[in-house]
Amino acid sequence: MNAIETHDLTKYYDTLCAVDHLTLSVNNEIFGLLGPNGSGKTTTVLMLTTLLHPTEGSAMVCGNDIIDKAEAVRSCISYVPQDMAVDIKLTGRENVRFFADLYGVSHASDRVDEVLAVMELTDRADDLIKTYSGGMRRRLELAQALVHEPSVLFLDEPTIGLDVAARKKIWEHIRALRKKGMTIFVTTHYMDEADQFCDRVGIISKGKIAALGSPTDLKARLMKDVITVRVDGECTPPTIDGVVFVGRSGDEVSFTAENGSEALPVLADMLARSGVTIRAMSLREPTLDDVFLQAVGQQEEPHGFEDGKFRIMLRRRK
Amino acid sequence: MRGVVTYMKRDFLKWSRGRVAVISALVMPAAWLIFVGLALPVKFTGNYLDFITPGILVMTMLSAGLSGGALLMFDKILGFLNKFLALPTPRGSILVGKILFITGRGLIQTTIILVIALLIGATLISPIQYALTYIILFLFGVLISAFATTIALYLDDHDSYSAFSTMISMPLFFTSSALMPYSVMPGWLATIAHLNPLSFAIDAVRDVTAGGLPVVPLLVLLGLTVVVMGICVQVFRKVTV
Repeated sequence: MNAIETHDLTKYYDTLCAVDHLTLSVNNEIFGLLGPNGSGKTTTVLMLTTLLHPTEGSAMVCGNDIIDKAEAVRSCISYVPQDMAVDIKLTGRENVRFFADLYGVSHASDRVDEVLAVMELTDRADDLIKTYSGGMRRRLELAQALVHEPSVLFLDEPTIGLDVAARKKIWEHIRALRKKGMTIFVTTHYMDEADQFCDRVGIISKGKIAALGSPTDLKARLMKDVITVRVDGECTPPTIDGVVFVGRSGDEVSFTAENGSEALPVLADMLARSGVTIRAMSLREPTLDDVFLQAVGQQEEPHGFEDGKFRIMLRRRK
Repeated sequence: MRGVVTYMKRDFLKWSRGRVAVISALVMPAAWLIFVGLALPVKFTGNYLDFITPGILVMTMLSAGLSGGALLMFDKILGFLNKFLALPTPRGSILVGKILFITGRGLIQTTIILVIALLIGATLISPIQYALTYIILFLFGVLISAFATTIALYLDDHDSYSAFSTMISMPLFFTSSALMPYSVMPGWLATIAHLNPLSFAIDAVRDVTAGGLPVVPLLVLLGLTVVVMGICVQVFRKVTV
């Protein structure tokens, strides 16, 4: 039995399709769901955490159906939403104790001490949250989530708005949890973090999985080298053997090539001849960013759909 | 219901740490009691303070309920509600805990107002009469906090909600029987006052103070509370899937 299993999971907000027939299975790993804003990441998490009813399809979490056995699902998961919600007028210990009581944890005060120690918050446990930094507040939320020893942990953008050191610390904790056998489902925008810390990632675009696999596999699938060209104005990508156009983001145009160092001068020549002004060119190993760009296509803000629909979606997501 | 006490405990703890809010809520009803209850020259009763105290107690409950209405909406906007909804604790206890907290906080505030009233010269009544008074205030508190919570969840916007609560609190108070008996009101006001839910609570408390047992107002209040609570549960279900 897999920890998370979805089958054709679909969510429509009126006529806007946020998640489109998503089929996934996740088990005992750190799974990263990546995607641009408005691609359906949060909607997916909300459905899996039983906060939203799917329009179509089904999903099982810890072997329980998310609609029929919602309460059973809720007792084996923990969910940390994107917006940091901790009571600033309470102390760290009080915040965690509150969740321990809600979960009905036995030996609550010992368990609270334990998770505070795991999250390295013991020294500050009796201070008001007002005095905590962003990274500490996020760790406190993790402590709240861990208090009942869930088997699946859902984290929506766990490192958003944190500094580099705090991010690294959060990821180290997530990794440690994974080693203990927990399944962790993360959504993130940060490709470098997903690359470094996720066992497997799924790139979601317009509600559909566009690429799925371990970061290493996905990068390998994208051939060997990436050539990035910074250009002025319009650019029609030339057709050269062994060079594939990936996408454009701002004034940067990316290509992949089997042999980058040979393709580079040819490409420069072709572009110059077609009248493109080249500002800079670079050659490097592919990163998850390139995989993302290829899977999602041109990175656009989702202004394509109607503003009204987008607002409905935002309202429902709250 | 599991969780109700825990949710209430959280709110009471938060409330007790906001010193300004604890005091400021009492200023307005205390001012009414002292400046109007003691100073207004009225002819229809010998002890105006005794007449106005039930009105001020209900008014205290009204403003406690209206100011508490925004609490659940804030939990929703700030992301707490989503965390709570993902817990195995029964979801209804979030709502029940909130309404009991708002009502409980209102009862604490009315107690302080009651003590002030006694200190400045209101007449002491028997323990049974106080118990009945508290039952009426409790029912009225649940009614108002369920109503306010419903409106706030429905409006889903803090500015609109505070505009709404400012808009209704004064008119509700002035068109009730809080300040004067029906006999001295102009005809049109008496008609409105008879329909005002505040009057049911105020008249019931006055009836208790006079030694009666207000069965009808109590039943009306209970009926209204059940209906509004039902609507509140529906709205809560809607915002939480």
